[in-house]
Amino acid sequence: MAGIGFELRKLLRQDTLLGLLRAYAYAGVIGSGPWVLSIIGILIVGLISLGVVSPAVAVTQFQVTVTYIIAFSLVLTGTLQLAFTRFCADRLFEEREDMILPNFGGVTLLVTLVSGVLALLAALFLFPGQSVLFRTVLVACFVVVSNIWIATIFLSGMKQYRSIVLLYGVGYAITVGAAFLLRGFDLEGLLLGYLIGQSALLSGMLVLILRGYPSKRSVAFELFDKRWLYPSLMLVGLFFNAGVWADKFIFWMDASTGSPVIGPLRASLIYDIPVFLSYLSLIPGMAVFLVRMETDFVEYYSNFYDAVREGGSLSYIEDMRNQMATTIRVGIFEILKIQAIAALLLITVARDIFGLLGISELYLPLLRVQLVATALQVVFLAIINVFCYLDQRRILVLLTGLFLVLNVVFTLISLRLGPQFFGYGFLLALAVSVGLGLWLVQRSMGRLEYQTFMLRSG
Amino acid sequence: MTPPRADSADICLLLEGTFPYVSGGVSSWVNQIIRGFPEYRFACCFVGSRAEDYGEMKYTLPDNVVHLEVHYLHQPGDGAEHKAHDGDRVAFDKVDQFHRMLSSGRVSDSRNRLFAELVDQLGDGQGLCESAFLHSRASWDLITDHYRRHSRDPSFVDYFWTVRTMHAPIWVLKRIADDLIPARLYHTVSTGYAGFLGAMLKHQTGRPLLLSEHGIYTKERRIDLFQSEWITDNRSMVEKNNTEMAYFREKWIRFFQELGRECYQASDRIVALYENNRLRQVEDGAPPQRTLNIPNGINLTAMREVRARRNEEIPPVACLIGRVVPIKDVKTFLRAMRTVANLMPEAQGWIAGPEDEDPEYAAECRALIHSLQLDDHVHFLGFQNIADLLPKVGVIVLSSISEALPLVLLEGFAAGVPAVSTDVGSCRQLIEGLDEEDRALGSAGEVVGIANPEALGRAVAGLLRDPERWRAAQQAGIQRAEAYYTQERMFASYRALYQSLLNDGEAR
Repeated sequence: MAGIGFELRKLLRQDTLLGLLRAYAYAGVIGSGPWVLSIIGILIVGLISLGVVSPAVAVTQFQVTVTYIIAFSLVLTGTLQLAFTRFCADRLFEEREDMILPNFGGVTLLVTLVSGVLALLAALFLFPGQSVLFRTVLVACFVVVSNIWIATIFLSGMKQYRSIVLLYGVGYAITVGAAFLLRGFDLEGLLLGYLIGQSALLSGMLVLILRGYPSKRSVAFELFDKRWLYPSLMLVGLFFNAGVWADKFIFWMDASTGSPVIGPLRASLIYDIPVFLSYLSLIPGMAVFLVRMETDFVEYYSNFYDAVREGGSLSYIEDMRNQMATTIRVGIFEILKIQAIAALLLITVARDIFGLLGISELYLPLLRVQLVATALQVVFLAIINVFCYLDQRRILVLLTGLFLVLNVVFTLISLRLGPQFFGYGFLLALAVSVGLGLWLVQRSMGRLEYQTFMLRSG
Repeated sequence: MTPPRADSADICLLLEGTFPYVSGGVSSWVNQIIRGFPEYRFACCFVGSRAEDYGEMKYTLPDNVVHLEVHYLHQPGDGAEHKAHDGDRVAFDKVDQFHRMLSSGRVSDSRNRLFAELVDQLGDGQGLCESAFLHSRASWDLITDHYRRHSRDPSFVDYFWTVRTMHAPIWVLKRIADDLIPARLYHTVSTGYAGFLGAMLKHQTGRPLLLSEHGIYTKERRIDLFQSEWITDNRSMVEKNNTEMAYFREKWIRFFQELGRECYQASDRIVALYENNRLRQVEDGAPPQRTLNIPNGINLTAMREVRARRNEEIPPVACLIGRVVPIKDVKTFLRAMRTVANLMPEAQGWIAGPEDEDPEYAAECRALIHSLQLDDHVHFLGFQNIADLLPKVGVIVLSSISEALPLVLLEGFAAGVPAVSTDVGSCRQLIEGLDEEDRALGSAGEVVGIANPEALGRAVAGLLRDPERWRAAQQAGIQRAEAYYTQERMFASYRALYQSLLNDGEAR
């Protein structure tokens, strides 16, 4: 997401309310797009299929299958997300754009192979009771969705935000449409519809990429060259994605909170619905985060490093450092404010939604906890983003690793403690990580010039 | 060829950017000295800037060089990330205190004691170790504090790297000093970093330190620094004040001055080539009682043979022997030749020396010859063997704007050629004599002001057209060279110095 700032600033420079709103809208969609569109997509598919698909359990099976596909593909490709973004950014900085596309090809090939083999093994051995069609579509979906994440990163690295938004919109419209048309074929039909929509999305992205970036070579693996690969960033991507899904997975697997849905896939009705609902509140926070971080912060950030490189005075350098610190502080406060508003809105309508979906109001407290946790997750993302900019990879590994471990440990403890503590594991893991993260941000900002000049010998 | 290695040596020469990897006046002198003292075992410690700046050895090592080590001051960083640490505040306070003493410009015992104390803490793991300087918070605070207090240039990054680049070699020198083989006497042939290494060695080992300076290091550095474009000046048009030097340039010059001062303070004896340079050393902080002059010496036997090849006539030839570069001010020589040619149409002007060092300047000189209509009078001879050239020359001309103790004048004298020179370096001392006894020998030619072609030309013509005066000058030159500027005399002076310092060293 490092390159988004430019486009956003262009929008903000129009200086009108409309321009501002458009900037926020873009940011909201891009920051949380993949997540939220996926959630909305499968919710809508679920809703339109209600009463049409029989047995009704097929809808749940579909939703759970897709959730697993998204979760596992995110964790799998998470190892490459940051490392590949960094590779693209570094090559762009060196003006060696020609290296990027071949490596995109390489990453795509690798992801296709690995995800294909993993999905094939899962389909062969874990779903003995399912039809061949289901298993085939499952493998195809997993490969396609994994590749979508990589293509999304590539396009955002290339600053093609408008196209990303457009393609996601069209892709999910086709998903819903195809699923609607195929809903008569039960689970297989819904899943096939999903595959068609996702394939359309991926094809659109690939057409855009290949048309926009012709290259002589189609596949290269320079990304894995020792000079250009940051193993620490691979860890960070893995830890963060695994951390985000750890509590959900534990709730699915636990005998008291999860139940089998299809094959080995389990779901936790009481946990999943509040969690996914609360993720809808991510949109405004992400928008604020993106606008603050990618415009104001980046401006002071580049001023800071320009002054460092090109001979600014120390007081100017310190001034820019302070402005950066202020932007971070203000940005985090704004995220919290806007998340609070979004959370309050959701809480007011939550009772009605729960009623509509037939969920016991007993789980309303869990939704509240999750809403707070979601707000913290946005803040956590902001902190990760800051350290990506400051290139403090050791801290990134520490923070995301801590988050993963704490989420596992605290979630397990919360399960022991009983239903009134559900969700607190995730919340507490985030709270500790965010607290430590904020302290580290403060410490880093406090010694930024010292660090820049004295601890990095060139 | 692998450099020779030994466990110990009698005399360790500290050589910054000179023998055996760079050719030139100082290097030839070092070569001459080593060969002149076969009874001593020499170690050579060469200190260069970066490995890629030097090629093969320019000299065959004399047999009595038992040890040679090569070091480079500027090394690229390791590129690694370093851990933040506080550093030794007390030690850095002392550094601050030392810098305050430096800016007061006075030398004192307390300053020398503090210097010794600081040098003792430079080793790995100590308060002022290299990593403390490069990475500690205390060091950062000191640098930023000094930037705020002193920098007239706004650019912090340039200030920071200037401080780093100029100080970083100190720890390289410290490691050299720690690892150097034991020697009974350290002899540095310049101040600067090598001289500072000498000062550290003196403090560390207690062995005597001898300093021989040919040029004046800080003065040469000053010229380098004025010509270098890598030193930036970031003041804006409004801030710029042309009476002030670019801040970083001034900083470098002061840094080298202080390096020199430490070397002067630590040296047991300080040798200059001639009186003016000695006075300058004293002005720059050398204790007067430790200074002395030892001029360069020439190989008299060889020059006597050259003299024997002369005939009685005075050839109407004025010859400039030297490289065709701006510092020799060849253009003034050419303009002077116009005057000479006006006065004596048969006169010839020769320029004997390589033209490849500054081709642009050489081309300008050729164009000037043409426009002065001197095509029949002036000739470029290229590099010449002095033994073949001198018998054909009537007067040696030196139009330089800077010289130290030019050997060509002495070789000319010994070979029976008088000289006309600009008043630079030791030229007046060589032509007119230094003390009363010396002056009584008479003038070996004439001294004129720099960049004065008219005066130079008249002096040359005057000498060439007056056989009586010419012969008197010839005799004065021969006698002066034979009395004061022989290789034997130089060796004798150094022999006395070496012996007394080595004895002192043993006695301690």
